[in-house]
Amino acid sequence: MSTQIPKNLKYTKEHEWVLIEGDTATIGITDFAQSALGDIVFAEVPDVGTSVSAGATFGVVESIKSVSDLYAPLTGEVIAKNTDVEGSPEKINAGAYEAWLIKVKVKNPGEIAQLLTAEAYDQFCQTSA
Amino acid sequence: MTQRTSLYQKHVDLKAKIVDFAGWDMPVQYTSVKDEVFAVRQKVGVFDVSHMGEFFAEGPDAIAFIDHLVTNNIQEAPMGKAIYSPLCRENGTVIDDLIVYKLAPQRILICVNASNIDKDFTWMKAHVGNFNVKFTNQSNDYSLLALQGPLTEATLRTFIPQLPAMEYYSVWEGECFGKHIILARTGYTGEDGFEIFGGHETVAQLWDSFMKAGVTPCGLASRDVLRLEVCYPLYGHELNDEVTPLDAALGWTVKQGKPAFIGKEALNGYKPRFKLVKLLVEKGIPREGYAVCDAEDNVIGSVTSGTMSVVLNQGVALARIEADKVTAGQKYFIDIRQKKYAATPTSKAFVQGGHK
Repeated sequence: MSTQIPKNLKYTKEHEWVLIEGDTATIGITDFAQSALGDIVFAEVPDVGTSVSAGATFGVVESIKSVSDLYAPLTGEVIAKNTDVEGSPEKINAGAYEAWLIKVKVKNPGEIAQLLTAEAYDQFCQTSA
Repeated sequence: MTQRTSLYQKHVDLKAKIVDFAGWDMPVQYTSVKDEVFAVRQKVGVFDVSHMGEFFAEGPDAIAFIDHLVTNNIQEAPMGKAIYSPLCRENGTVIDDLIVYKLAPQRILICVNASNIDKDFTWMKAHVGNFNVKFTNQSNDYSLLALQGPLTEATLRTFIPQLPAMEYYSVWEGECFGKHIILARTGYTGEDGFEIFGGHETVAQLWDSFMKAGVTPCGLASRDVLRLEVCYPLYGHELNDEVTPLDAALGWTVKQGKPAFIGKEALNGYKPRFKLVKLLVEKGIPREGYAVCDAEDNVIGSVTSGTMSVVLNQGVALARIEADKVTAGQKYFIDIRQKKYAATPTSKAFVQGGHK
């Protein structure tokens, strides 16, 4: 199975993707994750103003059969959430990299270096598949 | 070491996701659970359920023997009928739920859950006693397909032209591709459908034929959604070793009018501890084990099965609720990740299947 892993993004071992633009991190789940989950029917993410911390859960996505926690790649404050995707979670299946979940104002820029590159994430997917 | 059905390689070739279910490597989904559910509700889908168990009771006392073991009435059911029934202990708790097929006056087929094959067979065999019956476990000799959906009969007739007219919940023993098969108009989806028991090669040939005919292969995930939408119980969820049929809304399967059966005394006048309540959730998806509360936040039960209904696009659950808490005005709330979601009780199944 080939999975899309855009080069311009950073990744986590919990299968989230991160787009870094200045001090804003846009976060979603990867193509690999949506494919493994199957039909996504529910997504719940925190409201604007909520603090999230790296490695801690910040929300859930649910497929018909299972519940999966979302883990924050970075520490910071939620400055936007994608209510469109909460309302129509199947958009994650349709395009995992368009269907972002939250935008976070990064508090500790040092954490960015801890994220996986596209190459490292690709390797990780191949060994964990 | 997990077991594999005779069709395992075909599932792998179809790129199914395989999971361990009751010690078997089974296809959980092929393409998408949604597509598979809609295929069965609107057209026709096929499930490999060869992991399920097949027992035969044969001989002069075959009917009397099974009638003594199960709570439903096998003796009085017409020949050629299929009968759903719990199998209970003396104290009324449920060992398994199964389907009894009256093939002939001295030949009964019993189909049981895969997870309970050994438990059931040991129990049933131990009760043969003085019954003049040969009781055998032939699970390894049979493969089983469930062909389900409104187009099932038409599909089947192209491969088995001699198929007689069959009522819902009836069974027929005949031939397909010149080989012996047992065909029953039963299923676990609420739709019209047939279950086909046969030798491994015959069933493999039928599977290939169904694939060529455009039947959708369906996995265990869609099977679970389909059965839950029509509120069929599943052993290990709504039923288990600790509850009686009367705790799980199966009073209709316990026939106190029968002269004798195992569990009769315990179930006679038994006051149910639980009621099974069907709950619709406005937002959120209920899951097995989630607590069910009343308006004052008291826990009054828990979800035994929950999912997103594909047809309704809404969360649905079966919940085991303390019997005395199930009152006319009771309000139900499901605890989903520490948040309470209002749930509406309903008397009818979430989805009305189209079975005959």
